[in-house]
Amino acid sequence: MSDSNSDSNSELSFFTKHEFAIRRLHSLTGIVPLGLYMCVHLTTNASLLGSVEIFQRAVFLIHSPGPLLPLIEWGGIFLPLIFHAVLGIWIAKTGKTNSSQYRFTSNRRYSWQRWTGFIGLVYLFLHVMHLHGGIHAEAWMNAIDKIGFGQFSPYNAGSSLVAAMNLGYGIIWPVIYLAGVLALVYHFINGIWTAGITWGLWISPEAQARATKVCVALGIVLTVVSLAAWAGAVFPGEDDVAEMRAIEDRMYEAGVVAGTVPENEHKRDLRGRAAVESEIDDAEGGEQASLQDMKPAS
Amino acid sequence: MIALDPDANRPKFINVRVKRQDGPGKEPYWQLFKIDYEPELNVITVLQRIAALSETSDGKKVTPVVWDCGCLEEVCGACTMQINGRVRQSCSALVDQLLKDNADELVLEPMSKFPVLRDLMVDRSRLFNALEKVKAWVPVDSYYNMGPGERQLRATQEQNYPLSQCMSCGCCVDACPQYNKIELARKDGETDEEFRRREEKAWNEGFVGPHAISQAVLFNNHPTGKSISGERMDALTGPGGIQACGNAQNCVAVCPKEIPLTTSIARAGRAATIHTIKKWFEK
Repeated sequence: MSDSNSDSNSELSFFTKHEFAIRRLHSLTGIVPLGLYMCVHLTTNASLLGSVEIFQRAVFLIHSPGPLLPLIEWGGIFLPLIFHAVLGIWIAKTGKTNSSQYRFTSNRRYSWQRWTGFIGLVYLFLHVMHLHGGIHAEAWMNAIDKIGFGQFSPYNAGSSLVAAMNLGYGIIWPVIYLAGVLALVYHFINGIWTAGITWGLWISPEAQARATKVCVALGIVLTVVSLAAWAGAVFPGEDDVAEMRAIEDRMYEAGVVAGTVPENEHKRDLRGRAAVESEIDDAEGGEQASLQDMKPAS
Repeated sequence: MIALDPDANRPKFINVRVKRQDGPGKEPYWQLFKIDYEPELNVITVLQRIAALSETSDGKKVTPVVWDCGCLEEVCGACTMQINGRVRQSCSALVDQLLKDNADELVLEPMSKFPVLRDLMVDRSRLFNALEKVKAWVPVDSYYNMGPGERQLRATQEQNYPLSQCMSCGCCVDACPQYNKIELARKDGETDEEFRRREEKAWNEGFVGPHAISQAVLFNNHPTGKSISGERMDALTGPGGIQACGNAQNCVAVCPKEIPLTTSIARAGRAATIHTIKKWFEK
């Protein structure tokens, strides 16, 4: 660290020249889109506590852009996230935490901001692999399904989420999610507070103290929301899955008929579900039954 | 001064652990010294006693411990060092107070972010280079009489006065987790000027530090000083500028002059936001 930029007399690198703008962009992406997205995501998931229908309706709405969705995902979430993470690791490496020597509250918060960033990054990688799968190529999705990844089916949102959380003895994933989500809530809230200083929004110590109160309040609300989201995914058992799936299938089929849900069998959870299907077939008659014939072998 | 409690039990000796280093780039090592207790010592007097003794606690003769000091009244910053793990001035570090926190020993270390010259003496050139970088002065050359200056509002004066108390001691940068030590070794055949140029280049890419940001804010707030505020903001948004701040806020916590450094940083942050947007649209 001491003589990293000693030997060259060359021009400054692009990064060094534009460090100010790049780091302001890092600060901005943490709040918009990433932090804002996290709030929407957690709130949506918390709605599963309300009912399977509310949650599934929200997921249908999120998936309504259809073929544009990957563009939104990559442009609005994944790319900003990769940028924020890569630069965040670099930033963390430019500093040297000393909160064991100087035990001031804000210095500890500085250290925690870095630790939660690392925890959050590892967690988000696991989370995306576990549920989303990253790339929606069929061969890839089939391959990672064998190791318990890529488990989320948007058109069976609640049931596939609950089933995925039950993988691995029903304890490993819930613990990872609880630690990861709480770390990210801290990272986001503390990030808002420091961003307010960075951008010059709260300046005096009094203003910063008021901002702290607002941030703590926001943090408590977001913690409650994330615990609700966690509980909604973790508390239902294996028995509830079949029931949830029946409701989701009913909504999907009715949505396709009504034209509000774009038909897409790939977004359904079609694994081992003969029992549920026959129930629906009996209840809803021949026309919907023909939809079932279109499903790919799983 | 804080009066001593006359009834308190006093120790007979004071153990002083000193982190020593024989020269730039050499390996540091620890030595323990034992001096007789006297009431109302400060750390400078302790170091004088150690120099007079020049003997470790186990009776080994050693070279006197080297340190730096100047004013002896906490306004020059020369005697800054880490005392019991916290950076501060040794002239205003009172031994009786220190022994209340840690009765066993005093631990003296050089500042952690500057190259050690010898023992407790460091080279703080980078600290002053940062002040040059942000042009921490009022640009008047006194060639001719410019008449009376602009009047300053009382509120501005009150805002500026605390910032003007900075003595460039370096406590803020020493406690800052974003300010890293830059220590270069001289190459064979390198002249003083060449070495200095190489050092300055490295310093200018490293973080300027809270003291320089605060001084830039002070002079940008000065009626005459503000005439080059754009140049100061260019320096603060350039390499090693304000963006390197991580908001750990140690600077303000350790500042012996209680300068509102984080307030200065936030004000400079706001000015940097506006400066950059303005500059971008005026290109």
